[in-house]
Parts: sequence; structure tokens; C-alpha cells
Amino acid sequence: MDSSVHPRFPFIESELRSFHGQAADTPTTISQEMEYINTIGKRFVAAIDRFHVHRALLAALQERYGLAACCILLKGDPFELFIIPCHPLSTSFLEEMFQKIASAAHVIDFPLVSAEQLANSAYFDAPDEVVEYRTQEDIEGAQIGSVLNIPLTIENRIIGMLSLFDVVVGAFDTNLLKLTSMIADYAAVALENTRLRERETALWRQAEHERQRLELIINSMAEGLLITDAQGAIVSLNQFARCLLAQAKIDFQTAMPLREVAKKSNVLWLHQLANVIDQGLMGKTAMNQELMASGRQEIVPLTLSISVAPLHDVSGKRILPIGVVAVLNDVTSTKQVEQLKDEFISVVSHELRTPLTAIKGYTQHLIRRLERRLRKARTTQPEVTPSVTDLPENYDLHSLYVMQSQTEHLERLVNDLLDRSRMRENQFTLEYTTFYFADLLAECVRLAQASAEQHTFSFIIQQQNTQVVADRTRVSQVIGNILDNAVKYSPQGGEVVVRLEEWEGNYLVSVMDQGIGVSPELFDHIFERFYRIHNTASREYAGIGLGLFVAKAIVDGHGGKIWLTNNQHGIGTTFHFTIPRKPSSKGDAS
Amino acid sequence: MPLMFDDSSSIPQEQVTEAYLKAIHLIDERVAPLLGKATTRVLVQVAAKHVMDRYPFLYFFAKMPYAEIVPSVMREQLSGVTAKELSAGLDALLDECFAGLRELTGDLIAPPLYDEVLHQLEQTQ
Repeated sequence: MDSSVHPRFPFIESELRSFHGQAADTPTTISQEMEYINTIGKRFVAAIDRFHVHRALLAALQERYGLAACCILLKGDPFELFIIPCHPLSTSFLEEMFQKIASAAHVIDFPLVSAEQLANSAYFDAPDEVVEYRTQEDIEGAQIGSVLNIPLTIENRIIGMLSLFDVVVGAFDTNLLKLTSMIADYAAVALENTRLRERETALWRQAEHERQRLELIINSMAEGLLITDAQGAIVSLNQFARCLLAQAKIDFQTAMPLREVAKKSNVLWLHQLANVIDQGLMGKTAMNQELMASGRQEIVPLTLSISVAPLHDVSGKRILPIGVVAVLNDVTSTKQVEQLKDEFISVVSHELRTPLTAIKGYTQHLIRRLERRLRKARTTQPEVTPSVTDLPENYDLHSLYVMQSQTEHLERLVNDLLDRSRMRENQFTLEYTTFYFADLLAECVRLAQASAEQHTFSFIIQQQNTQVVADRTRVSQVIGNILDNAVKYSPQGGEVVVRLEEWEGNYLVSVMDQGIGVSPELFDHIFERFYRIHNTASREYAGIGLGLFVAKAIVDGHGGKIWLTNNQHGIGTTFHFTIPRKPSSKGDAS
Repeated sequence: MPLMFDDSSSIPQEQVTEAYLKAIHLIDERVAPLLGKATTRVLVQVAAKHVMDRYPFLYFFAKMPYAEIVPSVMREQLSGVTAKELSAGLDALLDECFAGLRELTGDLIAPPLYDEVLHQLEQTQ
């Protein structure tokens, strides 16, 4: 076996001399020293992965030692152990190596690890070019003669341990220890760099994988998705959005803001889209904005529903959004269904109107005839017994009143449906006349009371002069719808208070019931068409969800307001609406 | 133990502490250029863990870097400990440090340094 100290680099001789106090700092020695340090430094810097670091380490160490093996134990969870043999090693040699590494690791505060654990996890990195030939006898007979363990440190932090093994006893020299330690420092930095590079690569791969996954999801979405920058130029859009927007025949990949693209285009809906995007750029969230992406002349025009939300900087330092994310839904088929439904409702309500008019007319005729007959009986035969109130005609008259009230209720439903159709076709108009609001309210209350025996209606007027210029029929419709609801949603009966007062120059009507009430979160939805409160979707509360929608349209048409509040004691609801005394100069009727 | 003060009871606790802290600094002075600055710190911490069963009052050597330990800190921690006990504990700590150093580098550093430390301690008695 060779001597373990192999000063193959001339400088190493000089280092030995300098340790012994001999003059070594000659220019030649310094030059050699720098060349040596430069050479090993370059090897470590050039190492692109940990295996290159192992080669650089081995090359540097073999300049001076005839090693059997060097090992690198790195901290971590799990720890890593690399065995870099310089020639084949026997099993017993390896076992002894693991034992010594485990003991030394314990000294520098490694988590407790056994030789067996080290053996099971060790990774052998034996490059062919450094493996020297050994006979079987040499391999089997080899035993550890010398061990040197040097902590691998980065900025005073121990990241692992370099262990050198040789078969020769006393192979490691005190005088070479400092240089060996320097090589270990190089190796530590190179290994840490490699670890950071591996981590960076792993993170990059993970990020790339996530990006691809996200792209796949976005492109598979049944909705269109587009993202703009802070100027409103489209920076990303998925396949569905691309198809939807392809109809504009515009290259959306240009860096031009959508607003500018729209200005140069004669595609109308592009302006609408730009408007919605602009809302997002101003920091607003817009939900379900409808946009007709083809001509209205088409039977079923392509209709898109767009929702936009501003994208804010993650740091939160920018006040304005850095872009907008928009989701586009093709709601054409929904619109088609709605159109069919509207047409059907229009036809059915027209068809119902005719027989209803006849029923109402004949009911009214019968009521008048019976009223006349009873009046006559009262005046001509006062002595007849039983009394007039017990006559069968009297019961018939009561039945006819109920019929009249229910017919009017039915008429209101049909009128609501017809009004809904008119509104859709922009044919909803108001016919203004002058009348007394109090008279109208009293009549409505009388009719409501006639068909609601469980309820007690009271009417409070806090106003002397109640003259108003409005559409009497329509206002009556509003009151009728609200009273209907008051009765319907208080099935146990109770009091219904109707109040008329002046409020900010308008008439304010309030209808307070003692019914089931409305959750505050539903206040905004209750005036939507066909909207019905979920807990009332039973037969107990029959209805079509149009009454309040129509009422709001009528009140809005008059320039008034309609809203609701829950009563203070938690029982029931109060609906309020205002009607101006007369139409404003701008003309509210439309 | 060869490093132990012969008649510790007659020596103030502060003097014992100071002597051993100086000894550790001497070890660091010699070891740091060869094995890096972190090595002595870790050697002392691991050594403290080993002797804590016998000398629990030395636990703070395991908790904090020895460089942050000054006699005033030790005084706070060592109330009720006699100078003799303290000397024995610190002696055991140094022994463990040298054992660790031998585990790492064999006889390359430990024997001459041991002699040097022993000499320094003898000077302080």
C-alpha cells in the first residue's frame, strides 16, 4: 500500500514547510499556492450537480491523500449519505466506516442515527475513472487505519460532515489539516449551491406543473375566461372565450386596450364589452351583465352574460387594479327558453282575459240585481218575517261578493302577466288622471276585506287633501298586489293596517301585516320577476312571483319608490311605496 | 480528573467559571481555523447534553452558544452550586469536548491542545 500522503501539487510541500516555520512565502510558492487554490476553486464552481461536486472533491483530495474513500453526510429530513470510494471496499470495511460516521455525526449534533440506518440509506457514487485496480486479497484484508471527520459549514451553520478514510495508520497529517478543511469549505459551498439549485429546479417544475394544470382547467372550462392588463388589453383568454369573441373578427392578441379596439370596430357589442371591462378596471365588480353578441334581428341572437372582477396586486400597494378577470357565459339557450316562456305567458293571459271579463261583468250584473231586489224587499215589505238579512238572496249576495273579489284577484294576476309581456315589448304605458288617493285606498281595502274574513283591515289617513295625478288603475293594481300579499302571507289572519300620509312632498302608503315576514337578505330580490321566497314555495302560498315586480315597475314609472321593512316586534312586514302628487316636468309616464 | 482544581472549595465560584470559559475559548482559538467556527460551539453543546444528567446546572451550555455565556450569566444560573461541584461539572464538560474532538480528528488536534488547556488551567489555580 502507498503512503497516504501524496503531495502531487508542488505547493503542498511548501505548506508543509511553512507549518514547520521554514521560509515558504517566496513569490514562486505564493504563485503555486494561488494556482492550486484557483484550480480546486474552479472545479467546485463548475460543478453543476452534487455528483460534479463529488468529482471535484475527490480530485482535490487525491492531490494529497491516497484515500480509500471519502463520505459526505448531509443534514436534512431525511439525511443523505454519499460514499465516494477510491477503490473497491470490503463489506467489513464499509460496516466499520458506517460505525465511525455514526459516532462522529453524534459529536456534531446530528440527529441520532445508527450505522444500520446509514448503511440502508447510503448512496454509492463511484466514478469509473477514479477506481483503482485492487486484488481480491487487498480488498478483503483492508481495514480502516485512519479517519478524519471535518464538519461542512456554511456561515457558521453545520450542514453536514466530510469523512475521509484510509487503510494506512496515521495517514492524515496535522500540517495538511488546514488545507483539507479549506477543501471541505469549498465542497460545503458547492453542495449548498447544488442543493439550492435542485430546490429551485424542483420549485420551478412544481410551478410549471401547476401552471399547466391551471391552463388545462381554464381551457376545459365551459365558460369563457379572459384576463386583461391594467390598460384593458387582453393578455390571456381561454379557448371558449376565443371562440365567442372570434365573431368580432378581431385579433385579440394585440396589446391594444379593448376600449381602443372597440373604437376602431363597427361591432356594437364590443363597446358593451369594453364598458364592462372598464368597470372592472375602476375596481368595481360587475355580475351577469348581458351582452347581445349578434344582431337583434336574429330570431335567437347570441347572448353573453359577463361578470368581471378587478385583479389587485398581491402586495396591495397599488390602489388601482392590475387587470381584470372576466367570465363569459353563453346564455343564448336560456334566453331562448325565456322568450318561449314569455310568448306563452302572453298568449295564455290574453286568452284568459276574455272569459274573465265576461265572468266579472256578469257577477257585477248579478250583484246589482240582488242588491236592487233586497233594497226593494226592505222598503216594500218591512213586516215580512224572517227579517231581510235572513233572506236567501242575502246569502247569494254575499257569495257573489266573494266571487267578485276572487275574480278581481284573478284579473290582477292576469293583468300582471300581461303587464310583464308589455314591459318586455316596451309597451308599458301610464294613463294619468286626477283622483283622490284616499278614495282609491278605501275601495281597495273594502274589496280586500270582502275576501279575507280572517283579517281585520284598518285604514288610517293622516292627510286632508289627497288629490293626486296618477294612473288610477295602475296605482290600484299596486295596492291590490300588496294587500294580496299581506293576506296571503299571514294565513293565521291578523290585522292589516293601511296608512296614507305625506312624505317629502309625495304620498306615502304603508301596508303593515302580521304575517311570516321576509329575511333581510331577500329584500333586494323580492322585486325581481318570478321571484318567490324559498320557504313559501308551497301550495299554501300560491302565486307566480310577478305581483311585486309589476308593482315596482308601476311605482318606478310614476317616479316613486317602493321598499319593505320588517316590523319592530319581529312579526310581519311593512311595504312602503311613494307616489308623487303629480308627474314631474320630465314626465315619468312612459 | 487531571483538569480539576485541587481544592475547589477555597476558590470563588467566579474564578472557576472564568478559568473554564477561558479554556473553552482557547479550544475554539485552536479548532476554528482547522474545523470552522461552528465546530467548537457544537462540540460544547453536545458535550453539555452528555453531562447534563450528572451536572444538571450546566444545562444552559446546551441551550445557548458558549460565546454568549459570561460569568454574570453563570452566577445567576449557578446559585446553590458549590465551587467544587461546578469545577467537577465543567471538567467533565471539557473532557466530553475533547472526546468529541478525538472522534472527529483522532489524535491530530486533541492531544497537544489538551496539554495546552491543562497548562492554562494550572496557571489560573
